[in-house]
Amino acid sequence: MRVAHPRRVVTNVAEGTPLLRLENVWVNYGGIKALKGISLDVFPGEIVAMIGANGAGKTTTLKSIAGLLPIASGTIHFCGKNIVGQSTEDLVFAGISLAPEGRAIFPNLTVRENLELGAYTHRDKNAMRETIDDMTRLFPRLGERMTQEGGTLSGGEQQMLAIARAVMARPRLLLLDEPSLGIAPKLVVQIFEAIGQIAAAGVTILVVEQNTRVALKSSRRAYVLRTGEIALSGESKVLADNPEIQAAYLG
Amino acid sequence: MSANRSESERHEAAKRSLSPKRVAAAAGVFVVVLFLDFFLNVILPDSSIRQLLMLAACNVLAALSLNVINGMAGQFSIGHAGFLGIGAYTSAVIASHMHHFFGGGEPSFARSFAIVPACLCASAIVAGFFGFLVGLPSLRLRGDYLAIVTLGFAEIFRLIIATAQADSGNGQSVMGRISAAISSLGGQNGYQGIGNDGIPLYAGPFWVFGLAALLGLVAWRIKFSGWGRALRGLREDEIAAAAVGVDPTRYKVTSFVIAAAGGGIAGGLSAIMRDGLGIVNPDNYNFQTSFDAITMVILGGSGSVTGSAMGGVFVTFTVKAIELLQGSSVVQDLRVSVEWLDLNALRMIVYAMVIIALMIVRPEGLLGERELFGKRRAVQR
Repeated sequence: MRVAHPRRVVTNVAEGTPLLRLENVWVNYGGIKALKGISLDVFPGEIVAMIGANGAGKTTTLKSIAGLLPIASGTIHFCGKNIVGQSTEDLVFAGISLAPEGRAIFPNLTVRENLELGAYTHRDKNAMRETIDDMTRLFPRLGERMTQEGGTLSGGEQQMLAIARAVMARPRLLLLDEPSLGIAPKLVVQIFEAIGQIAAAGVTILVVEQNTRVALKSSRRAYVLRTGEIALSGESKVLADNPEIQAAYLG
Repeated sequence: MSANRSESERHEAAKRSLSPKRVAAAAGVFVVVLFLDFFLNVILPDSSIRQLLMLAACNVLAALSLNVINGMAGQFSIGHAGFLGIGAYTSAVIASHMHHFFGGGEPSFARSFAIVPACLCASAIVAGFFGFLVGLPSLRLRGDYLAIVTLGFAEIFRLIIATAQADSGNGQSVMGRISAAISSLGGQNGYQGIGNDGIPLYAGPFWVFGLAALLGLVAWRIKFSGWGRALRGLREDEIAAAAVGVDPTRYKVTSFVIAAAGGGIAGGLSAIMRDGLGIVNPDNYNFQTSFDAITMVILGGSGSVTGSAMGGVFVTFTVKAIELLQGSSVVQDLRVSVEWLDLNALRMIVYAMVIIALMIVRPEGLLGERELFGKRRAVQR
């Protein structure tokens, strides 16, 4: 899988420093505090999971990283630069790509158009062709449905399309919001295998999940969110053995 | 990697292989419209039929431009008559003044190459500017509320022209000059050129049909370009579109500007087309006109370029057929015997019945979002 961006000037992150760093991030929805001082690090090449119940602030965290929500205070550093206040367009170009929750694909656009729109910020013909070919290899079912409208795909296929579309931008950091939501268990396994392959190609991944078991199994580290705060964090293996986690999320 | 050509290589090869065909088609269209400009009046001696055909081409342009807002961007504008009217008045005034400047006489084909582009560019710019103003509220308003704004805009335009008094305003203050300029447009009676001797009709079939073909192609390219793809993505899912980097603000306003400019060209062309009326009247740009434009887009298929074009032709001919029906001896006799019969209401009833029937048979319009020369497979499961 080819992941180099056609036009971006890459600033390498020094050894041991995070690709993404959130420090004391607060987000308000009107009077409601959705995030109350979140701090987290994502290092290059990692798969990091963020787990927690509904309304814990997982989606809010991803949206504020992607520049889709304004933050009230705190800083977000990407590649060592503070990115607070930058437009989503600039952030996608810089290498932050979000696959939104709930298979947010474009139902009346063809699968190909969906993918091409993913490459909106660079529109490099070669890179588009390469990634479309890579994605049809990663998700053969998408390849068979290139000229079909996105809305005619099954739930699992739509999720594959949403991930593939996010990869089209040639991101350095891929944000995935609930890739397992409402999808058959067999497909969940397939999708997480594909996520592993994307990570192996050199894309750093921050994935939000309610499916704690799958999330902890496929990530290196994880953060547990509870009502807008980070309750626990650490190596996924260690968290999976944590009795508190087992009681609350693994059942 | 694989010995077979990859999926995307095949896709691009299919796109490229059409090129020589396209050049030939463009040359063919050019020759045909050039021929029509000189010989249409020989082929069709009845000027009312010529007028109908050219009006259909103008309506196709109106439908194509409205399709950018209502179909591709998914906003709902019911004030397209405002942009058509602004375009019509702009072209009418400029054509009259340029004609006067060139010394009057019969509108010649050679002179049309100076006058028609000037008129239509001005129409596009002026209408596009108002499109920008109307587009700004579209950032905060959705659906019905935006529709009210667009309707209000069109009515304000129409009423400002219609209610201007011939003697209002004197050349002193700024407001006085503005109102003098507006009242020089003829008010309720319409604008008929300098000295009321009619708007010079420079746009022959060459311009009308040629531009319909050219701008139809532009509309097609817009739909399938990166820009059109982003616009349609925004319509489908604003969050997802924003997530891939599409700026909703910029796209919404730009789509209004483009649609308004296209509407301006359509209106301008209809004002200066050969076999046209030679007069622009505020009543030609009332709600009925906006409604006709919406009908064209929805009947043809919202979001479809070829569908909107078909809708434009279909509505033009339907309206004409109903008018002919109204003038037929059967209906006239009926009118004499049944005194309370209102012919205008009859038109609306027939028109509404046609629309209702089509909406029952095909609720998504003739083509839905698809195109006549489809790039995509039909829904299959």
